[in-house]
Amino acid sequence: MDKIIEFKNVSKNYDSQTHALNDVSVSIDKGEFAFIVGASGAGKSTFLKLIMHEESPSQGTIIVNGTNVSNLKRRKVPYLRRNMGIVFQDFRLIEKMTVYDNVAFAMRAIGSNPSAVKKRVPYILSLVGLSHKAKSRPSELSGGEQQRVSLARALVNNPAIIIADEPTGNIDPEMSYEIIELLSKINEQGTTILVVTHEHDLVRRFNKRVIEIEKGRVVSDTKQNFSNDTSDINEGSDVINDALKPSIDEVITEIKGQAEEIGLASDKED
Amino acid sequence: MSFSGLGYLIKEGFKNVWNNRIMSIASVCVLISCLVLTGSAVLFSMNVSQLVESVGDSNETTVYLDDGLSRIEAVYVGRDIQKLKNIEKAEYYSKDEAIAEYKDMLGEEVFENLKDDNPLPDAYKVSMDDLSKYDKTVEKILKIKGVDSVSNRSDIARRLTEINNLVQTLSFWIVLALGIISLFIISNTIRATMHNRRFEISIMKSVGATNAFVRIPFVVEGMVIGFIASVISTVALIFLYDGIMNIVSNLIPFTAMPIMSVIGYVAVTFIIAGIVIGALSGFISIRKYLKKEGNEILGW
Repeated sequence: MDKIIEFKNVSKNYDSQTHALNDVSVSIDKGEFAFIVGASGAGKSTFLKLIMHEESPSQGTIIVNGTNVSNLKRRKVPYLRRNMGIVFQDFRLIEKMTVYDNVAFAMRAIGSNPSAVKKRVPYILSLVGLSHKAKSRPSELSGGEQQRVSLARALVNNPAIIIADEPTGNIDPEMSYEIIELLSKINEQGTTILVVTHEHDLVRRFNKRVIEIEKGRVVSDTKQNFSNDTSDINEGSDVINDALKPSIDEVITEIKGQAEEIGLASDKED
Repeated sequence: MSFSGLGYLIKEGFKNVWNNRIMSIASVCVLISCLVLTGSAVLFSMNVSQLVESVGDSNETTVYLDDGLSRIEAVYVGRDIQKLKNIEKAEYYSKDEAIAEYKDMLGEEVFENLKDDNPLPDAYKVSMDDLSKYDKTVEKILKIKGVDSVSNRSDIARRLTEINNLVQTLSFWIVLALGIISLFIISNTIRATMHNRRFEISIMKSVGATNAFVRIPFVVEGMVIGFIASVISTVALIFLYDGIMNIVSNLIPFTAMPIMSVIGYVAVTFIIAGIVIGALSGFISIRKYLKKEGNEILGW
């Protein structure tokens, strides 16, 4: 399996006293779903920042989607980030924009054609089950809905990797399950998903890879098996919006095809 | 990048001006005062130059030749004077012409005692291209063999030139100082916009917008502020200039340069200056944000 993210002996020191990451070697395959877990200050955020190239490593090599990003030139960074969709804990939605515009903004920001925006945004909103909220403002939505808008925005440019930083931190447990379920469905279509969380209960309910970081080191890297309690999952699935659930696979497939059609290749440069 | 994508960002720049209208109005006002003051200084300088030119024309310098110089020698002196760099023209003015002029001015009877003697020397009436170089040119003329002395009749012109130089120097510093102040104020306005739009900037960066793309709305915002200020400044300067010149021409006999003869240049210069200052302000202010990443942009 091709690797999409590879850390080779990566360390990150903010100063001589603060070692955020210490000799981390880990790789994530294309199309994989992995949880990154760990306590606050363990180094999870630094791990994500290094992938997104918000920070450069002090030592070691980081390869993302075939590109060595350890010392990536500043002008190349935007093109690296077009491979990624970011979902934030605090949603980071723009209040003065409607749901539609919040999602469209991510396309407009990289210079997409208005006709492509018009075609793509409604489909992405239907994927996350928010077509009927397109004209609403973020403040009119629940936490779960806001996070789905954030997810739609991360998806709209058809990235190869979705990075979700504590996506369930600000929403209730039922909605949290729904968000991870949605990410799983997206993952089934081939998108690599990285979810940073400290909610062990949630992690346990999905049979996914779990990378645990503690004091800047990867202390365990396992595929969970104890979550095969299907009753748990089924119970959670009931939470998913009824309008959303039956059509989700079809919509995802359609979205992927459409993204290719309008030229939203994830590694595209303009 | 598609043109329509660019169009969206330009539209965002216009929106910024409106959304941040109080600060935009403050910026426009500051820039107007800068441009109007600068324009006034330039127009004042142009009027002084015009005045210097007219005074300079009517105030030729007379170069007196040595007594007893033959006509041929006088012609050579004239040629030497003409050869000097700053000389616009040098016209021979014989002592006969001089005495005839004096007789016309003062009456024949004043000169009766002189009979046929003419105590006046032959001379050249000399005009200079640049009166600021008056002293140096006179020095050179005095070195020419056959030149006795040079009359110093261009004091007014020289004084005016001095004033003009002073105004030009002052204008330069005023323009520079006000330019920097404008830059600072507009930068602050745009910084306020940026603070309001820090979420957008962080999202743009996270989805892979290039720095040029992030910059566009802010540069456009600066340019719009600059353009609005330059148009208002042009109109304000027309009224201000006409008003002041009406008062001045009532006080002293002076024909002011009509503003309409230069308003085209003024308007174009103002618009270019306004847009450049505005764009530069946007460009400078966003630089700080472009260097930041993720939560740093949000100030966390």
